[in-house]
Formats: sequence, structure tokens, C-alpha cells
Amino acid sequence: MMPPATAASLREAQLSAGAAFHPGEGGLPLPAHFGDAAREYRAARQAAALLDRSAFGRLRITGADALDLLNRLSTNKLVDVQPGRGAATVLTTNKGRVIDLLIVANLGEELLVITGPGSQARVAEWIDTYTFGEDIAVEDATHSHAMLSVTGPHAAALLGDAASGLDPFDFAELELEGRRASVIRTDTLGIDGFDVVTPAEHAAAVWLALADRGAVPIGALAAETLRVEQGVPGCGRELSEDYNPLEAGLLPFISFDKGCYIGQEVVVRLNTYRKVQKRLMGVALDGEKPDADARLTADDRDVGFITSVVDSPALGRPLALAYVRTSHAEPGLTVQAHSGDRVVGGVTVELPVAAPSA
Amino acid sequence: MPLTIGISETAARKAREFAQKGSHEEFGLRVGVKGGGCSGLTYTLSIDAESRPEDKVIEENGIKLFIDKKSYVFLAGTILEYSDGLNGKGFVFNNPNAKTVCGCGTSFSV
Repeated sequence: MMPPATAASLREAQLSAGAAFHPGEGGLPLPAHFGDAAREYRAARQAAALLDRSAFGRLRITGADALDLLNRLSTNKLVDVQPGRGAATVLTTNKGRVIDLLIVANLGEELLVITGPGSQARVAEWIDTYTFGEDIAVEDATHSHAMLSVTGPHAAALLGDAASGLDPFDFAELELEGRRASVIRTDTLGIDGFDVVTPAEHAAAVWLALADRGAVPIGALAAETLRVEQGVPGCGRELSEDYNPLEAGLLPFISFDKGCYIGQEVVVRLNTYRKVQKRLMGVALDGEKPDADARLTADDRDVGFITSVVDSPALGRPLALAYVRTSHAEPGLTVQAHSGDRVVGGVTVELPVAAPSA
Repeated sequence: MPLTIGISETAARKAREFAQKGSHEEFGLRVGVKGGGCSGLTYTLSIDAESRPEDKVIEENGIKLFIDKKSYVFLAGTILEYSDGLNGKGFVFNNPNAKTVCGCGTSFSV
């Protein structure tokens, strides 16, 4: 069903397109699906999907010391990030545990920082704790702006010239129906993906314009399925202070030569001495989905635990994201998932899994 | 724990030497902390011509120390010393608030 040409609000536009809402991460009501999650999943795999990612936090950070301070607080090298470019970086505690995975885009006059769902206040507070006289101002733009993601192999073409040349985390200005929006290539589901950030009052118009160009509205269910198939760690599940960034597969977002940041000593030691205890893997399951926190055993020994589980169209059976002990973290290991009294058999697999054939 | 910040005689003498090299006549030693370093906070040290209105100013061994309010919370009780010689570390913050210190000793957490 095509949405109407005008809508007073983003929610109204989504409702008209058949959205069923649920309280999303971060507390915002977000579309769970638009009536056919399987079709939505295919759109993201094969064409272009339109996903409301407004629940993810957004901070606007200004001031001459902004990049330098974020560089001192997180894992990636940010001081060289030029206007128009960006980077993903991990905010870590002094014990090297994950507080949040951030995307930092240098918009020139300001930085746009995308946080995990609902974690913008925590991130702002963390920055404030470590601000001593630096020239920096942090403004929460989560509710004043919406964030709509266009994801899939046709996403760049759909957004036009401005988006098609972007490397991961780079930024461009885009005009849609006469309204300016910021576009950042974030690839958050492990496939081509662009976050379109626009003032809340333009969100409905921008959403309609993107749908009109052929982006298929998808809900959180299809997005979650893709996320697990692609092995992307999610905030609050695979990413929390229970884990360090190496366990969570965030190695590409860690600089080992940039110098000190909070948690650096621990992260470097874990890496140098190969002390990483567990890592994220997939588990392809044989029966009904186990609980999303099921314990995993192999030959009656604990080898890990599940953190997320979905029905995978690519595998035609349930697929879990799981932390597996490094000593056992090889594909092909037969495991049992213990879900209450139920035991579900499975086998470890590397992620991402291959996309289903069209 | 004394709620003040002190400077040893040697550290005061060294600070004066540095200030004179920079041809500062009237000066204070700005001590503070900033976010970063492996453990969360690192020390900062610089020479300032004059204090700022919100600074706490402490004078000991003929040296004025300028400390901003937020840094003071993390530094109260600290003695600034100087470790001399070939293997010396230069200015050293002996901070009773530091619960953990990183391997190289330049950052701390409270």
C-alpha cells in the first residue's frame, strides 16, 4: 500500500502505510512491521528498504575541542576526521568495557554523534564528566530530529549522486522535495545503508519522498533479522559493560597507534596477549527458537550463551547471535541451547551468513 | 586528608626555572586534570600569567597554584613534587584520590 502524498506526522504516514507499532528501544513507538515482514526483509536484501531509526540517539556537538575530547574518550582515531567524513568509535570504561558504539560525523560546523537506542543521555553525561575547561557544547538532538535509514543494494542509487560516492561514515547534504537533510553512510545492518537525519517537522515529508522513490518501509522485525544474519552487535544485547570491544567484533573501530584513551591499556593488553575470552558467532538452530539468553553447551561443557535469536530466511531455520568461548569459537561445533527445560540442538556458523538466493 | 594542594620546595624551584625561561615575571602554575589517558583522567600543568575569577589560588614555597573548581575536586590533597635526575619523571602528582593508576603512571581514576 502506498502512503498518502501528505501526512501531518511521521507516525501518521507510517500508519497509513500499514505499520503495526510497538514500543521500540529507547521508548519511542516504532513500526514493528508493515504487514509482511518477509517481504520487508527481501526489500532490504534485494532492493532498498526504509527503516525508522529515530530511537537511536543523536547529539550535536560543537566547540574547538570536540574532536580532541572524543578522541581521548573512545577507541578510534578521531582527530584526523575531516569535515564531510566520519568514523565509528567505541566509548569504553577504564576497564575497557563497552559503554556504547558511536558514529561520529564531522559536519564542518559541528559533529553529529549517533549513539545507541536511548543512550544519548548517558553518552552526554559521560562526555560532561570528562570535560574540564574544554571548548565543547553538547546538545541532545534526538527528539528535535528524526533519523530514517535507507538500506539495501539499491539504497545509494535511490538517494542519488550525493550518496553514491560516500565511503562508510562519510557525510553529505541532500535535498529531498526542497528539504535539506544530512546523509551519513552508516551500513548499520552490515549492508549498504544511509541514515537520513532531518528536523522532526520535515520527517513525514522526507519519509514520504523516500517511499515515493521506491524505498520499501520495513519494521524492526525485518531489521532485527538482518542484523543477526549479518552478525552486527546490538546495543543492550551484544554491546554492554559486560563485554569488551574485541569480544564484540569491533576491532575495525579500534586504533592501536593513536595513543591513550580511557580503557586503552586494557584493550591493548587483551589484543597483544590474545586474552580475548570469547567472541561473537552465529548458531544455526534445529528446533524452535530458544530464549534469547539461552546457555550453550558442547559435550556437556559450558561454551557460551545466546544474546539474540531470529528466524533466518537465509538459513531457513532459527539463527542466534552468541558469545562463544574463544577455545570453542570455530564454525561447525555441535552445541545445545538450554532454554528452560527445553534443549535445542545447533551448530556454530560464521557470520554474516550468505544472502538467500533471489 | 588535607583539603588543599601543595607543592614541594624542589617542584617550586623547577617551576620558577621554567617560568623564567619563558620570561614570565608574574605567574602562577596552573594545575588541573583532563579526561583521557588509559585510566580516565590525566594531569595538566602549565604556566599562566594570571588566575581566572573562578580559580582556587593557593600559595606555597613562593609559588601560586591556580586550580579550576572541577579539577580541584579530583586533586584535593595532592602534593606536586619533582623527580630529578637521568631517570627522573619530572613533575609528579602525589594524589591521594587516585584509586587506580595506569601502567605508565600518567593517568588515574578516582
